[in-house]
Order: sequence, then structure tokens, then C-alpha cells
Amino acid sequence: MALKALDIYKLLPKKNCKECGDPTCLTFAMKLAAGKADIELCPYLDETAKSVLGATTRPPIKQVKLGVGERSFAVGEEFVLYRHDKTFYHPPGIMFRVLDTENEEEIMAITARVRDETLTRVGADLKFNGTAIVNTSDTVEAYAKAVAAVEKTAGLPEILVSDNPAALAAALVLCGSYHPVICAATPENYKQMCALAKQHGCRLVVRAPSLEALAQLTKDCVAEGVTNLLIDPAPQTLGDFITRSTTIRQLAITRAVPDLGYPVYLDATAFDDEDAAIALGIVKYASVIVTSPLSPASAKAALTLRQNIYTDPQKPIQMNPGLYRVGTPGKDAPVLMTVNFSLTYFTLQGYLESSRVPCFMLIVDTEGLSVLTAVAAGKLNETLVRDAIKKFGVESEVTHRKLIIPGYSAPLSGRIEEATGWKVLVGPRDAAEIGDYLHEEWKS
Amino acid sequence: MASISREFSYEDTAYHLPVSYALTGIAVHDRSTASEVFTKTGSNPLVAAECLLAEATAAEGKEPAPYTGFISDTVIRKLGYSLVDGSILGLALLVGTPKSAESAAAICRELQEKYMLTFLSGGVIPSLSSAGVKLGLDYRLIPLGSKPLHSVHFVDIVARVAMMFGGVSPGDTHRLLTYAAERAKAIVIVFPGLSDEEIAFVDGMRVLGFPILSLGEYEGGDWTPATPSDVVRTGMDIKGIRVTVTAIPIPMACSPAFEGKSIRKEEMQVEFGGGRSPAFELLRMRNPGEIEDGKVTVIGPEIGTMKEGAAYPLGIVIEVSGKTMKKDYEPVLERRIHNFINYGEGSWHVAQRDLIWVRISKEAFSKGVKVEHLGKLLASKFRMDFPQLLDAVAVTLITDQDKVLAGKKEAEKIYEERDARIKGMRDNDVDTYYSCTLCQTFAPNHVCVITPERPALCGAISWLDGKIAYEISPSGANQPVEKGALVNAQNGEFEGVNRFVKKASHGEIERCSLYSVMEFPMTCCGCFEAIALMLPEVNGIMVVNREYKGMTPSGMTFSTLAGTIGGGAQTPGFAGISKNYILSERFLQGEGGIERLVWMPAQLKEELKPRLVPLLAAKGHPDLFEKIADENTAATIEDLTAFLARVGHPALAMKPLM
Amino acid sequence: MIPDLNFGWTSTVGEVVLGATRAEGGTRSRSYRIGGGSTLPFMEKSTSSPSPLIAFEICDDPKSWSPIVNEFCGDLVHDPGAWAKAAETTYGADLVRLCLTSTRQRDFSDIVSLGKTVETVLASTSLPLIVEGSNEPKIDSEVFLKCGETGQGERLLLGTAEAGRYRSISAAALAYNHAIIAQSPIDINLAKQLNILLSEIGVQKDHIVIDPYTGALGYGFEYSYSAMERIRFSALKGDADLAMPMICAPSDSLTIKEVREADADVRNAIAVEWEFATSLAAAVAGAEIVCVRHPDTVKRLKAAFTGLKTRSGA
Repeated sequence: MALKALDIYKLLPKKNCKECGDPTCLTFAMKLAAGKADIELCPYLDETAKSVLGATTRPPIKQVKLGVGERSFAVGEEFVLYRHDKTFYHPPGIMFRVLDTENEEEIMAITARVRDETLTRVGADLKFNGTAIVNTSDTVEAYAKAVAAVEKTAGLPEILVSDNPAALAAALVLCGSYHPVICAATPENYKQMCALAKQHGCRLVVRAPSLEALAQLTKDCVAEGVTNLLIDPAPQTLGDFITRSTTIRQLAITRAVPDLGYPVYLDATAFDDEDAAIALGIVKYASVIVTSPLSPASAKAALTLRQNIYTDPQKPIQMNPGLYRVGTPGKDAPVLMTVNFSLTYFTLQGYLESSRVPCFMLIVDTEGLSVLTAVAAGKLNETLVRDAIKKFGVESEVTHRKLIIPGYSAPLSGRIEEATGWKVLVGPRDAAEIGDYLHEEWKS
Repeated sequence: MASISREFSYEDTAYHLPVSYALTGIAVHDRSTASEVFTKTGSNPLVAAECLLAEATAAEGKEPAPYTGFISDTVIRKLGYSLVDGSILGLALLVGTPKSAESAAAICRELQEKYMLTFLSGGVIPSLSSAGVKLGLDYRLIPLGSKPLHSVHFVDIVARVAMMFGGVSPGDTHRLLTYAAERAKAIVIVFPGLSDEEIAFVDGMRVLGFPILSLGEYEGGDWTPATPSDVVRTGMDIKGIRVTVTAIPIPMACSPAFEGKSIRKEEMQVEFGGGRSPAFELLRMRNPGEIEDGKVTVIGPEIGTMKEGAAYPLGIVIEVSGKTMKKDYEPVLERRIHNFINYGEGSWHVAQRDLIWVRISKEAFSKGVKVEHLGKLLASKFRMDFPQLLDAVAVTLITDQDKVLAGKKEAEKIYEERDARIKGMRDNDVDTYYSCTLCQTFAPNHVCVITPERPALCGAISWLDGKIAYEISPSGANQPVEKGALVNAQNGEFEGVNRFVKKASHGEIERCSLYSVMEFPMTCCGCFEAIALMLPEVNGIMVVNREYKGMTPSGMTFSTLAGTIGGGAQTPGFAGISKNYILSERFLQGEGGIERLVWMPAQLKEELKPRLVPLLAAKGHPDLFEKIADENTAATIEDLTAFLARVGHPALAMKPLM
Repeated sequence: MIPDLNFGWTSTVGEVVLGATRAEGGTRSRSYRIGGGSTLPFMEKSTSSPSPLIAFEICDDPKSWSPIVNEFCGDLVHDPGAWAKAAETTYGADLVRLCLTSTRQRDFSDIVSLGKTVETVLASTSLPLIVEGSNEPKIDSEVFLKCGETGQGERLLLGTAEAGRYRSISAAALAYNHAIIAQSPIDINLAKQLNILLSEIGVQKDHIVIDPYTGALGYGFEYSYSAMERIRFSALKGDADLAMPMICAPSDSLTIKEVREADADVRNAIAVEWEFATSLAAAVAGAEIVCVRHPDTVKRLKAAFTGLKTRSGA
């Protein structure tokens, strides 16, 4: 069981010396309780206290950073089995696989996709995260060539997939300084793999067919001096993956088996239906998912699912406030005001588009709160609307002065009229009815 | 039963003889089974009637049209459907021979208008036909049979509905009787002309909880006498069958969409109150039967005699009654007057009690809206919004100056009584607290426990609000929490509360102290108005509210703290609270009292000052207010330590916090 | 060394029976018993429990149906009987969900035709049937009466009850022994309240399937996902008012922008991908019935569910 802030505080020096970077020991204690600080930062703790506190305050799933530079990303540092208990913090990296038996052009094209392809959704740019280079040929030269081709194209996080230490060594000459992931160490070869990993500061995927063996293996690798580990529970079926990954997550967050407290690695290409494995990996705790270069449809679905599941349930996604156009609205087009909660925006926009009435959407800043909540909390008010009209120059876009407001914000209608001088029309409560509403009620 | 000589059965039913079957579980088809059930039910006259009628039907065949005789299961299923889905509100049985065909016809008409399904037996059938009334399922007037005895089909219909829809197993007498008494909405209206035997038979229906209303001169017994003009209403009232109100009969549109619409000076026809004339509003509970549902009375001049643009006196008096209505609910319902009047497209209302300000627009006036219509709006809306709670709503609108002033005086007494009652409520006075799970969407394991002295941490819900919400919607977001045995008086820990919290948090939280910040404080969601937290360095507790964006001596801002303690966590040393809780007797009781309070943002201090200073004085700490620091007098923990020492804050000398 | 997982479950998900075979009083070739889970989905010790069921959705008026599906299915969309048969024999679905979209027309009143359609579909397919009734509260009473009556004996799953609108569908369930779908707006407390209201009116718990409302992937799906996980959790922790199987019915999946505006050459692929990802994730969260509209999604989901129930030991 994780320690509470108060209990941690009791074990701290209580000097408020600020050397850990926090203004008070209380603040430091709260951060430790949330797994958001490193116990090592306190210079006045003895080793016993540090190891006791460390064991119970460090994130139950180790944070592992992949790659260097702009496209590097972190995984791990997770605390919950259900996203609704807090949130999932680090979305899994999706890595496109290239085989060293493919020709150079193909390899470069795939790498370029990872480098450039972007899906923009709800104001976020979603991308794939790196490449997994597989030593299918089992030769050293082909492997080195393949890695070189990838390196030439982009500086992305890489996973080197090979059981041939010589091939790995050759590849590491080319990319070792970028701390790639080596895949994989097994109970049979881990000493060799650890040596390679240590040499170049690599992350290491460890693979074993049972959770017992995995726990032992991570222990052994740590003893060899390699701590940035990822676990591959070697699933042969989707059923294997869900049971093993769930078990690992639960045993890690309850601190029942700290040796399993590492991010999970999933090779989706090993499954008949790769999309199924990807979707399963995203919802069930995979931190790194290797896939073949995805079709446009698969790519969109995967990136969207990842974005959805890894959204913080307590922080609604917000749009930037502003005046948005639907179609090509003219000077007499309707102006519909609503909140900047992304879901509200996109839902309304969708219905407005199908209504085929060109119009403006005036999106005001309610800090992501929905209409009902924003009205109840007083965040959606006449001042906000008045200021938004001024700030986004709405009065120069249309000649009329009629504002349509969401049905649930009806209580504000009079005050908005007074504050803005515009006439307020109260629209439907349900966005689905906006099409009918505009066709029946709107006259500029 | 001895007279039964043959076997008999109804073809189109799976329930044999339904009444006997429901009561005993025995399928009756011959003399021996008939005798068996007759004996088993203690010589029940309904059972006897059913057996005899079944045999007679087998012997002589069914009566000719328009009489239906026994009705098939298929039709009953459809009927039961309509009862469940609300298209039919209830069942009525008319038996006997009416003196006047016209008054019988009027009764049937009233039943039809009130969505009742009516069964007829005896002389009333030819009587109605002679008055030209159309009978049949389509008209919801079903002629069962030519004799009062045929009423037994009414009972077998209720029995079948109980078995098909009410989960009553054949033979489960108790369940059947409970269903009939509590769920089946059935009334019996008896016209004159029944023989003694028939009277005994009809009287046998009382055991099923059917009110029996008598229009004949039947003496003795427990039948309710009635007249043709009130028999339907009386019967429906007794059985609690209410017609739902769906329309508001006024010349003005009415919808929540108009709630925010204000009526400016230039737009108004007349106004009331708002400092320009005396006005008040009051909602009172009355006993059932004391008021006439829907009645609206205007005492004084109507809008037609009022000068345009002028202000006139107004008293809005709403009287309500309902079986489950309580005096405690009066203020809660009274608050709705504001919303309801604002729903009117041409009406506007501000404030409450004797501070109200009401306007009717010129546009509404031109459409014919009168003061009376405000009353109709209110009467309708109260019934529509509280269908279970209120059986009757009557509205009186007073526009006569003297009467308004007198009424206002009375109202003011009542407001004072109410305020005193709430102020005086203590946690120790009650055995039940109330929970609230409204914000569980964001915090799955969080539950607020609301007591009279500790409102919900969002500040929006008091103990009384929770109680009323529970009583009005028993399956809603507010549930009762039995206190149970006392565990720790100072911390406010109770066995019942602990049990409740443990269940509500799915086992995550085992203990909850209502008055402590340090030990097992209540969990927090995220919508608390303020946070109380420990400052161990100075042995005190500080408070920071949502509006304050700056740094606190804890080294954390409100937003940082909120992020860590929210989400359903129980964080010893930290508690999410409402602002008003700071003024409660129980605030910081677990830590020794308000003397622990060492720091608060200046703006919050100002806001609470008028009530906090006298409170502190009453507790024997007249100068404590000045000793509570804020961001101006002590911004950091070091500054605070020095400040508190300088002013001699009592917290420094208290028991160590941890 | 590796301890057994102990989530502390104290209860199981309730069971609901759908469909009735001849022996059971109906005319279906099979009936299903859904629910009964005793831990998280696909984590049961034994893999013998049934997979989530895949319901293929058809309608009786394709005017408002997805153009992608209309094009793909061709003439079938004008013949609910044939379409239902295709769902069974060609697409491989476990259930057919008949959506009576004709009720969406303004002033719809042809209740008799609805009865005929339900009859036709029941005759054309031997799969258990879900009937999604009226779109207009004013005609609820007649529509559900007709559907309930026509399907008497077949143990239909009727859709959909909501907080302000459940009397008629409950009446049909009670009168003709069908199960009902109870929908709430992605709020576990409202789901619970609705189930309590249904109990009060007489609908047994084993006749209720919870629909927590499923937003399309990218349009709020994660809210629904978490609502399902929370409902499952509550059920396993002993909350009898939430211990019912769930249904995932994302009716917007194919009308959202990404799918609607996809290029012709990827349109079908993206429609399938969208439905597939949503249904798979929902099943993992606890949905026992998943509804899809594109024929190609069905077999893929079947294979995926089989994969989820297969384990290689260790």
C-alpha cells in the first residue's frame, strides 16, 4: 500500500531547507505520495529511510525514456489499473517495423512515414513514435545496412530486434549514442544482452514465457546493472496478452511483485489480426507496440483510440476559444455561441455541417467545462460572452446582432442581452436538434 | 358448492379460475376442487361467486353481446400493458342499477376523461345504452354481464394482472392481497338495487383494498357514501390515483428556454414589489382535502384595472397538499416559484420571500395574460414537477394593498420560524445524515456525508436539502446514512457512517471522521470551495479557497493541492470543505477547535469577517481574528512562524498536531 | 512467488436469457445466456464462458442509414427479411438488431406495418432478435405493444428505456416476457437509478441489459469505456442494481466525419476499423453484446473474441 503524505512527512527531516527544490517538506511529502518526486533529492535522509521511502514512493511502474531529442518519449510511471481511478499518464509508443530483408527505399519510406505522418484531431498532432528494425536476415551486414538506412532518414526512437549479438553490436556502432532499445534478453542470453546494453546505455526488452521467469529475469538484469527495462510477456494469443498484462499491472501497482514494475512491450505483428492486438495493447497497458506500417484506416483508428484512452479523465480536452466557420458563412449567417469543451465543439460542429447552413461558432473559454457545468459553476456568464464578441471581432463578421445560445444556458439570456446589446435566441438543449432549429427559426 | 354438478373451464386463459388460482394455487374445474378452494379460503364469497359463475357459463353458454363475460388472457395482457405504461390510470367497477341514466352517463364520461378503464355489471348496462352511451373496449366501458354477480370477472382480471405483471405466484395469498391493495388502482362504485347476497359479494372486494363508493342507500358497513358529482374524484383520491397535468392553460408560452429572459422597464405592462410596492411569496402545506386542486383565486384588482408601467402590491400564496408532503419541504418548493414564473415568456421574477420583484410584459398583456394566469402557471407547474409529492395545489394571488400588507406580516413570521429551525439544528439532534454522490463522475470512490452542522464540500447542499431530495427521489443522488454507534465524539466518528463510507468506496475507505482534518478526514472529489490543511511547523491549520490564485505558506497553491487531494482520496492532514463550514461549531473540532486556524487568504477573511468575528467572540476569542495571518502578513512558512509567535497565536501552545 | 490476483470481488454479474428455442416456447435455433462474469472480462480462470455476442444491425427504412452500408449491402437494405437472413448466414452474426427507423418519419402512424416487419424478420432468421423501437415518445405505447405482442414467446431484447421514457417498453417486457435495454447518459449513478425505477415498475433484474451509451471513437468513446469499467467493477463488488450485462451500441460510428468523408477507396476499410476498435475495446471493458452495421466487421470481431479466450498456458 502506498504511504500517505502525512506518514511520509513524519519520516522527513522537516527542516524546510528547500534543497530538494520544494519550498517545504510538506510539499515534498505530497509529491512523494503521488509518486511524483525522487526520494534521492533529500540530502538529509539516511540510507534506511531512503530505501524504505523509496520502495513505497517511486512509481510502481518504472519510467523508461525512449530515444533522444525532439521525438523522444517516456513510458511507464503508471499507478492505476483503471484509467478512471486517476488517469493513464504515458501513451504507448507505436513503432513501425522494418525488416532488414526489405530494400533501402522501402525502409526509408517507412521511416519517413513515422517521421512525417501526422493526424490532427481535437487540436492535437498525433504521430507514430519510432521504428523497430528486425534482423530477419540473421546476418550482420544486412542489419547494419538497414539501421543505416533508418538513421539516414530520421532521428527517431529505435528498437533493435535481433538475437544475434554481433548484428546488434554492428548496429549499435551506428546508433548506440541514441540509446535505442535492444530486443530481447531471455533467461538464456541475458548476460550478453546486458553487457551490450550497458555498453551503450540502451534500454532492454526482457522476454520470458512465464511471469515467474520474467520477475527473475528483471531482477537478474538489474543485478547486471541494466535498469531501463521493458517486459515482453511473450503472448501467443490475445488471451495470453490480456491475462498477463493485466496481472503484471495489478501486481506492480499493489507493489506485490516490484520486479514486474516495468512498462510492457507488445509485438502486434505476431498476431493474425494486428489491429486487434493494437487495440488490445492500447487499452490493456502496453507501453510500446510494434506494428507493421499501418494502412490509413488502421492508422487513424489506432491513433484515435490511443488519444481517447490516454486522455486524463479529470481534464477535459479544450478547444482554443475563437470564432470558427462552418462552411462559408456570409454577413447574415447565424452565430452560435458555445463552450470550448472539445466534445461539445465537435458534436455541435458535426450537426451544423450536416445541416448545411453556413454559420459561425463563437467558442468561449469555459476552461473545458461543458455547457451545464459551466452554467452551474458561473464560468459561462455574460461578461465572458461580451468579451469574446469583442476579442474575436464578431461584430465585423456579421451585420445582424443575433446570438444563438445553447438551450441549457437559457438562464443567462437576459443578462447576455444586457451586457452585449445583442438579441439572444435560445437554441435547443440537444445539439442533434440544431439543424431543425436553424431551418425553422433562423432569420437574420 | 354442493350445487355444482359438472366440469367447467374457461378456454382462453392459462389461469384456470383466476381468483381461486391466485389465492390458493389450485386449478378449479369441478365440484371437488371448488369445494376445496371454498373451504381453504374460509368460505370466501368471491371464490364462491367465481366457481358458480364458471359452472353456469359452462352450462348455459356465454351471455350474448354486448356482454363480454370472461375476457381472454390476450386482451388482459394488453390491458395490463396499458396500466403499466400509464395510458390507463386505473380500473373502475360500476355495479347495480342507477336511478338516473344521465347521471350514470356523466360518471362514465368523467372516468373516460380521467383515463380510467371502466367495467360494468348489472342494470347500469341497459341504463347507459338507453342514454345512448356507446360501450366496448374502444370506449373503455366494458359490459361484463347482466347481473351484479358478473362483477366477479372484474376481480379475476385484477388477479390475472397481479399474476402476469405483479410477480404474484399462484397461491401466494399474501402477495396477491398486497398487490391488490397497494399496486392495483381499482375502485368500485355501487348503484342502488343490490340484493343482500349481492351486497355481501361486493363487500367481499374490500379485502382487496378496493374502496367501495355507494350511490345507493346501503346502511351499515364500510362503504363510502358519495354523490354522482363527486364519486369519481373521491374514489380516485382514496386510492391515490392522480391524473398527471400536461398542459398549462394560459395564453402565454411557458418553457425553460425563457428562464433568463428579462423584461425591461419599457417592455413591462405592470410590476409588483422590487422596492416599489409591497410584495411577498409564501408556500404552505395544508392537509389533504383542505384545498381544491388547480383552484386559482385573485383577491383584489386584476391587471385590466392597473395603470400601464405602474407598480402594484402582490402576495403569492401557494397551498399544497400531498400524502408524503412535509412542512420541511415548504422552503424548497417555495424556491421554485422563481423558476416557474420565469418560464413564462412574458413573466419575470427576481429574488424570494418578501423581496420579490415580478413583471408582466406588454406583449403578454396584449395576448390576454392576467394575474390569474400566473396562478394557473404556478398551479400547473407544481403539479407537473412534483407528481408523486403533491396531490393538490391551490394558488391565491392578492393584489389588494391592505390584504397584501397583512399577509406579508404573517409571512415574515413564518420565514423567521423557518430560519430559526435551520439555525438551531444540531448534529446531535438527528440520527440520520445524508450522502451525496452528485460528483462521482469525476471521483468514483467519493461520497460526501452531509450533517446539519457540516454542509457538502461544494457548498451547495445542506442536510435539509439532502433529506428532502431523498424523500422526493428515493433512488436519487442523496441517500440516508444511519449514524450508528459513536466511536469518537471529538473527531465525529460513527460506526454507521464508517459502514456507509466503506460500502460506497467499494472498500477503499474504512473510516471517516466528520470533524477531523488530521485523522481519517472525509474524501474529496474536486468541487470543494476551500481546503483546510495542516501546517505542522506552526502546529496549526490553514485554509485556502478556490478564488485565491497565489502561493500559500504550505508551499503549494490551491490548484496544486486540489490536484493531489481530489479524485476520491482520503488524505490525512487535508480536507476539502465548503466556505460556510468554517463558521460551523464543528470546524476543526477534531483538532481542538477554531483556535487552530492560523492562515487564510485576505479576501476570504474579509468575506467571512462579519460572521466570523462575533462567532470567535462568542467562543471567548474576541481578538483571534487579527491573529489569523493572510498573504499580506505572512506569505511563507518562515514568515508565518514569526508572525504567530509575535501575536501569541493560541495554536502554538496547543497539543502537537502529529 | 507470483501470488494469485485478488481483486476482492464479492459478487458476479447477473444473467439474462435472450431468444427462445422450440423447447423454450419460441422458434429460435438457439438462445443465449449472457452475463455471469465473476471477474474482469477475459480474465476468468476457465475459458468456457461465452464470448461477447455480435449483433448485426438492420433497419426497416434505410433513408437515414449510413450510405456506406447501404452501398455495400445493396438491395438487401430494402428487404429486412432478406437482410436479416444474410446477417445470419453470410455475415455470421450472433444476433440481429432490427431498428425500426421508419418510426422516425414525421407523424408516423402505421403501427401495423411494424408488426409485419417484426414478423417477417422473425420468420427469415432463426437468430435471437433485438428490436429497437420507436423514435417518437408519442407513439411509444402502440409501437412497443405491437413489437412485444408480435414477438411473444421469443424472448426479444427490446430497446430502449431511458429515465424519462420507460413505461411502455417496460409494459411490453412484462406483458410478453421480453428483456429490455436500459440506457443512461454515460453516468453510473443514472444507470443505477434507472435500474431501480425499472425494478419498481416490476421489471426483474434478470431482464435488464445496461446501455451506458457509447460515444463514437474519437467523439467521447473514452467516457463510455470508463463507464463500462466502473459498472463492471461495481457489479463485482456487490452492487446488485448494476450487476447486469452491458450492450455497446455506438450508433454514430459511421456518421462521424472521419468515416463519412473518407475517400471512396478507403471508406469501407475505415468504417470497419472504426467499428472494430470500438467493439473490441468495449468488450474488454465488459460489454456482452456489441452492435455493428458493416458486414465485414462481424467475422473480424468473432475471430478477435476467440483469440481473447484462447490461452497458451503458463
